[in-house]
Amino acid sequence: MSRVLGDDWLLPVLDEGNREFFTSGRIVLQACASCGVVAHPPDEVCGGCRGRAFEPRESAGRGRVESVVVVHHPVHPALAGAVPYAIVLVSLDDVPGVHLVGNVRGTAPDEVEIGQAVRAVFSKAALPDGERLRVPEWEIVAAV
Amino acid sequence: MQGSAAVVGVGESEYYVRGRSPDSEFQLACTAIERAVADAGLRTSDIDGVVSYMDSRNDPMRLARALGLGDLRYTAQPFGGGGNNAAAAIQLADAAVSAGYAKHVVVFRALAQGQFGRFGQARAGGAGQVPGAFAWSAVYGLLSPAQECALHTARFLHDHGLDQEALCDVALACYANAQRNPRALRHGQPLTRETYHASRWIVEPFHLYDCCPENDGAAAVVITSGERARDLARRPVGILAAAQGKGPPFGSAAFQPDSFPGVFYKSVARDLWERAGVAPGDVDVAQFYENFTGPVLMAIAELGFCEPGELGDFVADGALEGPDARFPFNTSGGNLGEAYIHGFELMNEAVRQVRGESTCQVEGAELSLVVAGPGYAPGSAVVFAP
Ligand SMILES: [Zn+2]
Repeated sequence: MSRVLGDDWLLPVLDEGNREFFTSGRIVLQACASCGVVAHPPDEVCGGCRGRAFEPRESAGRGRVESVVVVHHPVHPALAGAVPYAIVLVSLDDVPGVHLVGNVRGTAPDEVEIGQAVRAVFSKAALPDGERLRVPEWEIVAAV
Repeated sequence: MQGSAAVVGVGESEYYVRGRSPDSEFQLACTAIERAVADAGLRTSDIDGVVSYMDSRNDPMRLARALGLGDLRYTAQPFGGGGNNAAAAIQLADAAVSAGYAKHVVVFRALAQGQFGRFGQARAGGAGQVPGAFAWSAVYGLLSPAQECALHTARFLHDHGLDQEALCDVALACYANAQRNPRALRHGQPLTRETYHASRWIVEPFHLYDCCPENDGAAAVVITSGERARDLARRPVGILAAAQGKGPPFGSAAFQPDSFPGVFYKSVARDLWERAGVAPGDVDVAQFYENFTGPVLMAIAELGFCEPGELGDFVADGALEGPDARFPFNTSGGNLGEAYIHGFELMNEAVRQVRGESTCQVEGAELSLVVAGPGYAPGSAVVFAP
């Protein structure tokens, strides 16, 4: 599938903290190896225990829309063909304390509502160096 | 000692629609500072401290060379964010003067968005790849402050049963008050509820008129000790209390459940009211930075003026408009109506209210509040008093 914002839109520079999230085809966040606290976005020192070693924490990728806005003015010219599009914040059913920024596939932007259940879907992309990505996006799975 | 410093001069350049300034940003900064210094009855050679915020272009050394600033011995800027730090900058100047590190400190902000571009645009960068913390949001087209503030606002409106009219009421008040202010860029351009609703969406729930325009201009104040202030030209306006608050770093950290939705003013409110020794109900006139209308509503609640669910009524029926308003608010027109000088124009207006010199003067105004920039951390705020 193409990404909601199009295949040419920005991709991440991969780093230790986001590589699994953007390449694995699963929702994988960074948890502290000592105390288990999940920080999103990740940082270099754990806010729970000051630990500096981390391990992946996988989510089943089910969640809920916490907020939604519909973008009409394309801040970047490359998004002129993508508007209107919805930006959502998604909470995860199995990893509390985290909101993920995302886009919604398969539902008109003005039909996305706070409280709707969502599941993660993954769009294929490739970086200029050939590394393959699976960019997480979201699908609405139930009404409010 | 807190509460010992005072504002003794205010000044600003002419304000321009983006790109219309005949002067460069640095020249605008120099104009605003010269006027603030003259207003205080001082000479630029008397200035020995310079404070700004989010300014990497108008270096104090360069200002000192151009303006003949005297024995420059104190410079500072707060960390983080943007307009949210306007009152933090006042606090830094207060601290410097109160501790004796400088005698006369200029605090200023200059902004030429025609010359240097707008913030959101700059952050978007080109197509390609985006590194670091910004990747978590930019990959999903979350690029601008309008979009970020909209995410907070959408959930806040939803949680508290507020509707679009509450946002509209904030915008209408700024435009209405701007009609009294010849400096205001929206002077002569009144806004109606119908025009507001008919305007295009920028990012729902923000219409065009929920978003501040891009402007060129500069504003400045001069701060000195209360003792020295008594010998100067103008009636001093005391810094009763200033506060900065804690919050998440910039980017998707600002949307995490521990502080969402919100504008990071709860700890600011706690410290501000405690230091000032007053309560929200004691405030005579308030200036709220409105890059967008939504954060104003959240800030009114976080500062303790009303409960979130009461906001619809709090702002309705012209409650924010004019000198006799139920809640005198953004009396010069604010970012939306006067000019977007990164919120520093609000400082000048708050000081003018205490002096009795506003174009929308609240009779007998004494306690004058500025809420510097709800939406980004650290929030900051200041209360001025005679
Ligand atoms: Zn830990």
